[in-house]
Amino acid sequence: MTIRGAKLICWSSDKNQLQHAIRFCISSLCIIFMLPCFASDRYFPGSVVPEDFESFAEPFLNAYCLDCHSGSEPEAGLSLDTLGATNEANATTWRSIWAQVSLQEMPPEEAEQPPVSDRLQFRDWVVHNLDATMKESGGFRAHRDPTKGNFVPHDLLFGTLPDNIEIQPTFSPARLWRVTPQEHITRLNELINTEPPYDASKPGLRTHGDEVPTNHGGELKLYFGTDRIIQWQGGTVAYATAVKSIPCVLSSAREHGFENYPDLYSVNSAEATQLLSTASDILHYMAYGPLSIAAPQQITDDPAAYFKKYVPGDNRGLPSSLVYSTKTVRPLTPVIAAIDTPSATDDCLREAVNYLFEALTFRPPQPSESDRYVSIVKESVHKLGQKDGAVLGLSAIFLDRDALFRPELVEHGTPDSFGRIMLQDWELGLAVNHALRYIKPDEALKRSVLTGAMRTRDDVEREVQRMLADDSIRKPRILQFFREYFDYDQGGYICKDTRSLDTTGIRGKTRARHYRSMFEASASTDRLIELILNEDRDVLRQLLTTQKVIVTKTDSEYFGQPRTKAARVTLPKEVKKAAEKQKLQEEAERNAWIAANPGKEPPKKKKRRQTSTINVYVEEAPFEGTDIFARVSHRSFGAGSLSPKRMLTQAPEGQRLGVLTHPSWLVSHSDAMDNHAIRRGRWIQERLLGGGLPDVPITVDAMLPDEPRKTLRERMEVTKQEYCWTCHQKMDPLGLPFEMYNHAGLFRTSELEQPVDTTGEIINSGDERLDGPVENALDLIQRLATSERAEQVFVRHAFRFWMGRNETMHDRVVLQNAHTAYKQSGGSMKALLTSLLTSDAFLYRKPEQNPSPQ
Amino acid sequence: MLTRRTILQGIAAGAGTALGLGGSPLPLLASPSLTGVSKLPKRIIFFLQNQGFDPKTCIPTGVSGNCSLAGHTLPEPIQPLEPYKERLHIINGLHGQHTSPSHSAFFGALGGYRGGDGVAPRGSTIDYELSKTLPETLLPHLCIGMDSLENMKNKPTVATLSASGPDQPIFMYSNPNHLYQLLFGGISDGAIRKEFEARSYLLDQIQDQATQGGMHLPRAEQTRYQQFVTGFQDLNSLRQKLGEVSDHLSKFAPKVDEFYATPEHETDWHDRLLNLGISALASGITNTLTIGSGRGEIFGAWKGLGVEEQGHNLGHMDQPDNPIWIKIRQYNSRMLVKIMETLDNIPEGSGSMMDHTLIVYTSNNADKQHTSGANWPVMLLGNFDGAFKTGCFTQIEGKRPINSLYTTLLQTAGGQCERFNMSDGLARTFDTGNGVLGDILA
Repeated sequence: MTIRGAKLICWSSDKNQLQHAIRFCISSLCIIFMLPCFASDRYFPGSVVPEDFESFAEPFLNAYCLDCHSGSEPEAGLSLDTLGATNEANATTWRSIWAQVSLQEMPPEEAEQPPVSDRLQFRDWVVHNLDATMKESGGFRAHRDPTKGNFVPHDLLFGTLPDNIEIQPTFSPARLWRVTPQEHITRLNELINTEPPYDASKPGLRTHGDEVPTNHGGELKLYFGTDRIIQWQGGTVAYATAVKSIPCVLSSAREHGFENYPDLYSVNSAEATQLLSTASDILHYMAYGPLSIAAPQQITDDPAAYFKKYVPGDNRGLPSSLVYSTKTVRPLTPVIAAIDTPSATDDCLREAVNYLFEALTFRPPQPSESDRYVSIVKESVHKLGQKDGAVLGLSAIFLDRDALFRPELVEHGTPDSFGRIMLQDWELGLAVNHALRYIKPDEALKRSVLTGAMRTRDDVEREVQRMLADDSIRKPRILQFFREYFDYDQGGYICKDTRSLDTTGIRGKTRARHYRSMFEASASTDRLIELILNEDRDVLRQLLTTQKVIVTKTDSEYFGQPRTKAARVTLPKEVKKAAEKQKLQEEAERNAWIAANPGKEPPKKKKRRQTSTINVYVEEAPFEGTDIFARVSHRSFGAGSLSPKRMLTQAPEGQRLGVLTHPSWLVSHSDAMDNHAIRRGRWIQERLLGGGLPDVPITVDAMLPDEPRKTLRERMEVTKQEYCWTCHQKMDPLGLPFEMYNHAGLFRTSELEQPVDTTGEIINSGDERLDGPVENALDLIQRLATSERAEQVFVRHAFRFWMGRNETMHDRVVLQNAHTAYKQSGGSMKALLTSLLTSDAFLYRKPEQNPSPQ
Repeated sequence: MLTRRTILQGIAAGAGTALGLGGSPLPLLASPSLTGVSKLPKRIIFFLQNQGFDPKTCIPTGVSGNCSLAGHTLPEPIQPLEPYKERLHIINGLHGQHTSPSHSAFFGALGGYRGGDGVAPRGSTIDYELSKTLPETLLPHLCIGMDSLENMKNKPTVATLSASGPDQPIFMYSNPNHLYQLLFGGISDGAIRKEFEARSYLLDQIQDQATQGGMHLPRAEQTRYQQFVTGFQDLNSLRQKLGEVSDHLSKFAPKVDEFYATPEHETDWHDRLLNLGISALASGITNTLTIGSGRGEIFGAWKGLGVEEQGHNLGHMDQPDNPIWIKIRQYNSRMLVKIMETLDNIPEGSGSMMDHTLIVYTSNNADKQHTSGANWPVMLLGNFDGAFKTGCFTQIEGKRPINSLYTTLLQTAGGQCERFNMSDGLARTFDTGNGVLGDILA
C-alpha cells in the first residue's frame, strides 16, 4: 500500500537536546547581531521584493536556517550553506523552503521566529524568484494549486495582523474558466433531452436544471433518446451496448479535492476533434430525433409487432434491438429547419445559428458573431449540400471559445482607484449563473442583463437571493461544492481486492455489485446533504453530526457490523436449530388446531425466512424509515440501471455520526486492501483544522510494511520515525480513530479477532481547546463539530470553490464577513453564499495583473 | 496544475489520441528511405478479438512446457498462420484476474487495470504508451474497430480499448470512409474529397476564430488558452503535412471501391478498415495500430463469413472445434497474414518492415467470455528487431499478469518501466515476479 500522506524532507525535531540548545543560543545571537533589517517598513503581502539573493535571502537563511542546516552533519542531511540563488538545479530545495516557511514549520517552534512581515517578504521573494527561474517550464505555480490553499496560515486570515502589514481591497484576476466535464455534458444534454420539470412532491428526483449524473459505472455519458425507449431485446449489457451514448470529452484530473480552478485546464486537440464528432451526432439528433439512430420501423408504440416482423433472431447489443415510442420529447428547435429544409433561407440559418450559439455559450451572439457563423454554414452547405453542410457548419459553434470557456475579462468598464474593474452585464450575469447552475440563465436573470440591471453589488444580491429562494431553480454547483469538499463520491473508483473485500463482510452478490453500491451511496449522500441544506441551519455541524442517513436495500450491510469468527461458526448452527425448533412448534400447533377443528382445513403455513438468506458474515442494520428519492443517471444499463428509490432513516445509534462515518466517505478514503488512515487524517487536518501539508519528497518511497497479520495501526508505526513524524503527526492520529470501521465502511469492534484500537489525538491544531486525545471517530467529530476554527476553515474552502482560486491575505475581509454572515444566520449556507457572491473577490477583476501570490 | 510541461504533454497526448499527430514541426514518417535517419523505425500492432481466446484454439496438440513449434501443426482455427509458424510465439499462462475481464476488461485489457462496461479508463493503455515510445511518426497511434454493420454505421467512433490517461479514452475508427478522409483526403476524389475540403475549410475557420478569441487575453491566460489554439493548429498542420507527402501516400492508398459506400456485409468494412490500417503502417505515418475486432465489447457480427449467429451468443459457445469460431479465428489469422505479407514486401534497413514489427494477438476477454482471467493467451508474430523469440511456445511460470507482458513490450521498445500500471501493493497479490518476461525474449 502506498502512503499518500505528505512527509517532510528535512525539518525534523532535534535528536540531541543539548546540541540543539547550543545551536539555539548561537542562533539567537545571530539574530540579535547579524540579522538584516527586514521588519522596518510596512509590507504589502505579495509584493515583488526587489532584492537579490546576497542582499536579501542569504541573510535570512543565515539568521534562521543555517545554524542547523549547514556543516558536516546538517539536520536531516540538508545543507543550505551552499544553496545560492534560485536556479533549475536547486529549485526543488527552494520549493521545500517556500513550503516550510509558508507553513510556519520553519524555523522550528522552539527557535527564534522571524517577524511576520519578514517571513512574508521572504516567502514572496522565493515565489517570484522561482517563478523567474522556472519561466521556461511554465513558472512557479505551486502556490496556486488547490491543495496548497492552507499554505496561508489561518491566523493571518482570521487573527490580528501586525501593524506593519498592509492589506488592500481584493479582487480576482481577469481570466477564462474552462467549463467542467459535468457542466459541459449537462449543457449538451439540454440540446437533445427534455428533462422533467421540478416536482415539489418528489424533490429528490432528477429534474430540469440538475446535473447529468454519472452512470452505473461512474462514467459521465450523454445518452440519446433513452426517454423514448419503451422496449429492448436482451439484458443489461445488451441494452448498454445498443443505446447511443457518448462519453464526456473534456478531461479533468480530479481524484480528491477541488476540481476546477480556472488555472487548471484548457482544451487540447484530441478534445477539439472529438467535440466536432460529438457535435455532428447531437445536431443529427436535434434534427431527426431517434430517426437519426434508428430505422423508421423502430419508432412505434407496438414493440411486439416490430420484433415479430423485423427481428426474427437475436439482435441483442445492436441499435435495432431497441424500440422508441412515437411521442416526440426532444426539444424542437430552429436547428431542425436549418438542417432539414432544402435550400434553407439565410434567415432560417441565422435563427439556427443564434439559437445554438445561445444554447452553447449562454448568451446571445453579437451581430458579427452571428454573421460569421451564418457565413460558415452557408459555405459548408455550398460544399456538401443542405443536410450535411448545415450539420458541419453548425458544428463550429460547439468549438466557440465561449462555449468551452467562460470569460471574465472586464474588457469594458472603468477601473476604480485600486485599478479594479467590476464585472458587468453578461460577464456578471454568467458569473452569478455559474456560481449556482449548469444550464443557461433563466428568463429573469437574462432580462436583468439585457436591461442593464446586472451592474451593481445590489443587482447581484437580488439575483442570488432570488435563485437561492426558489427550489425549482436547480443549483447543482452547490452540491458539487460539497462533493469536492467532503470527497465522498470517490468510493466507486477505488479498486478493491476481491479477497480483501471478502474480509470486510461484503461478499457474494453484494461484493459483485460493490462498485455500483458505491455510486448509489454517493447519490444517497448527495440527497442527505440536500435535506440539510433545505433546513439551512448549522449546516456544517449538521453534516458532521446528523444521525439521518439515506439508504438503499444493500446499505443494511454497509451500515451493518461484521460478525466475529466465532459467530460465523455458531450462527448457522443456531439458525438451523431455531428453524427446526420453530418447525416442530408449528407442527405441534397445526396438529393441535386440527384436533380442535375436526374436518376443517388448517390455515396455510406462514412463510418462514430460509436459513440461507441470513447473512452469516454481517449483522445487518435494521433500517426502517420513509421513502425518498435520489438523483441517478438516465436508464443506462437496462434493468441494471441505478434506481432512484431510497429510504430516509436513522443510522445505528453509537456507531455513526454524520457524513464522515458513512460508507460513501469511508470507502472514498480507503484503498484496495485496507483503510487509508493517512488520507482520512489528511482530510481532517486540511478541511476542518486548516492545516497545510507539504508534498511528499520525491526521494521518499512511502510504503507501509506488508504484514497481513498486523493491524493497519501496527503497520503505520513506521511513520513515527523522526523523519516522517513531523508531518504524519498531523494526519495519522486524526485518521486512526476511523479504524472503528473496516475498509468497506462497516462498523467494527474487533480487528484480527482482537478489540480494535480507535484512539487518536488532535495535535497542535492552532486552537488549544481542540487539542488532546480522542477515543474514537465519534469523539473526534463531536469535538470538531462545535469548533469555530472548523467553521472558518469550511468558509475558506467555500471561498476557494466559488472564487476559483486560493485565498490571499488580502481576502481577509471577505472571509471574515462570510464567516460572520454564516455565524449570525445560525449556520445558513444561503447567507454564506450571498456574502461570498457579493464580495469584492467575486465582483472585481484586474485585467493585466494577477493577485498577490498569498 | 497546468504547466508548460503539462501543456506540451497535453498537446502531444491530445494530438496522439485523436489523430495521432506528432509534435514535431517536420513530417515524420516511419520509413528510413524517407527520413534518412540511421535509427530504424519500429512498429507494433495489437489485434484484440472479443469473446475470449481459448488456448485450445491456438496451442498445437502435444505441446507442453516451453518448446519449439517446429514439428507441430497449428490447430485449425489458426491454420492460415502455419506458413508463418517460425515467426509465431504462443504464450500461455499470463493472467488478468485484476482486470475483471468477464464479458470484457474494456480499457483494462490493454491497461492492465480493472475495467468494466461504462467505466472510464483509469490510466493510459500500453498501445498508447508504445506509440509515444517508438520512433515518432506523423500519426503515432491509429485505432480501428470492427463490429456489426449496424453498429459501425450508427456509432462510427467508440472508445472502449485504448486510452491516453485517466478519463482520456481514444476513439477508434469504424467507418472506412471517415478514416480514408483522414489519411488520404488530400489525394481522394468524389464524395470523400468534398467532405475533406469542407472539413478543411471548417477547421481553418475555427482556428481563425479561436486565434481571435485569444488576442486580448491577459498575459497570464494566454499560455493556457494557447493550448486550445494550438490544438487546431495541429489538426490543420497534420492535414498540411499529409498533403506535403501526398505523392508518397498515394503509393499506399487503397483503391476506393463500391464497398466503401455500400457494403454488403460488415466484413466488407472490416477488410477495408484493415487495408487502411496497413496503409498507415506501410506508408510510415503510423507506428502503432490497434485493431478491436468486436470493438472491445461482447457483441459483433461476421455474417460475411457465413456466420448467421451474432452478438452475445457467440461468447456463450465453446470455441474449440466450433465451426463458427474456426471461421472467425481463421478470418483473424488471414488478416494477420495480410499484415505480415504487406510489411514483408517493403524493404527497410537490410531487411523488410516486418523485421522491425511486432503483432500482438489476444482478446479483451482473456480466454473466454465468462472468465476470471486466470489464463490470458497471447500470440506474438514477428521478433521486433530481434527482441523476441519466435517459432516457439512458452508456458509462463508463476503468477504473472498481462502487465508483465506490457512491461516487456515497453522495455523492448526503449521505454522505462518496471511494472506497467501496477502498484507494488497490487503486485504483492497479482505478480510473483517483477520486470520483463525473460522467457519470451531472445
